[in-house]
Amino acid sequence: MVALVVVVTFVVLLLGVLVAGLLRSHADILRSLHELGVGVGDPASGSEPSSARDAAPRLPTWSETSTPSGPAPTVTGVTPAGDARAVAVNNTDGFTLLAFLSSGCATCAAFWESLQAPESLELPQGTRVAIVTKGPDREMPAEVARMATGRIPVVMSTEAWLEYEVPGSPFFVLVDGASGSTVGQGVAPHIEQLLDLIRRAEHDRGQHHRSRHRPSTHRNGPEREADADEVLQMAGIRPGDPSLYPETLEDVFPFSAGPTPDSNGGSSARVK
Amino acid sequence: MATIQAHGIAAQLPTRFEGRIFVRPATVGVSYPVGQFATFPIPDDIGDFGSGAVALMGPDDVFATLFEYGPESLGTALFSSQGRPPSFAPDDFSPMRLRRGIPGQSGTQRFFTEAGRPFSFYAVLGSHVRRESLVPRVNELISSLLISPASTPSEGAAPRWN
Repeated sequence: MVALVVVVTFVVLLLGVLVAGLLRSHADILRSLHELGVGVGDPASGSEPSSARDAAPRLPTWSETSTPSGPAPTVTGVTPAGDARAVAVNNTDGFTLLAFLSSGCATCAAFWESLQAPESLELPQGTRVAIVTKGPDREMPAEVARMATGRIPVVMSTEAWLEYEVPGSPFFVLVDGASGSTVGQGVAPHIEQLLDLIRRAEHDRGQHHRSRHRPSTHRNGPEREADADEVLQMAGIRPGDPSLYPETLEDVFPFSAGPTPDSNGGSSARVK
Repeated sequence: MATIQAHGIAAQLPTRFEGRIFVRPATVGVSYPVGQFATFPIPDDIGDFGSGAVALMGPDDVFATLFEYGPESLGTALFSSQGRPPSFAPDDFSPMRLRRGIPGQSGTQRFFTEAGRPFSFYAVLGSHVRRESLVPRVNELISSLLISPASTPSEGAAPRWN
């Protein structure tokens, strides 16, 4: 009888130690998730009433770079189909949002869906979105291909994750194309919060940013006319220049009218 | 300097260039590699020679396509030039050489054989009046390309685990 009691006591103690270890491990995981900005609640204030937590929405972990950082590198890698792809982040006037996602991360699923329909996100004009997964050495291309719609670039590049020092997925980096430098980076648990951060960055950049004369389908009227005037002046064409008032076809095309590429026989073997 | 490489074509992309090297899925027959390079964001759904992209170009932009043809083109007069052109001169570009005329732009195209593969190189300038400053960008790009002999179809086709 005494032996049975001893054995049961020992088993209970052993189970108690195991449960305590599991609870501690669980707390560590929750704390790590919280540090990444994807945890639920604050593990350090577990006794806080749920109504108080609901009343104060938690902001995503996002660091804005107030001073220009170094040039953001071009993202190079492969597509899920095995083709090569390079996405430059310094060849546009707008922002480039690099979304570092994984095919297997549950939090990423909503971002995969939302970010591949950028027109519905009401992003600042000229904002480009690209999804970057780890390379084929860490991700299954077939899984990534299944999630990619082909509407925005999806690049598989472990090198880019290292260059941008991505701690985990989902992670976002916002690059200002005009300066070619990172203006913000971090984690946002929901697409709405990510969009707020991008709009805030756009607001911070100010309204005085001038474009690099890239034509926009959204411009018309005086803004488009001002753009055209500026481009003409940069080309040395002033008001009253004779080239603005062509009278013959030769005035429009004063260059040597050599044969067009397709006029050479056989060149149209495969033309899209 | 960013480098991309696929299908026997490599490019060390000059500053502000981006690009892709791909083989379009063949609906009929066989498709061959295409390289597209630009100083502006390349949309994913454009034509091989830039239809859908050149309309987005600004006056300071450059777009170029390296397009491989099938082996039946080897030895023909059109592809008799050995090796890509080492460089272009501003006069090589003309608005009349655009595949699709867009006011203000100009283009050029050359056919050649390199590494036993028939190619054409087609480049578009966002502004013909700025060709003096844009043509060096095209030359920077074309000199950065590296073309390897075509691989046999079985190469790289073996299944493997990731």
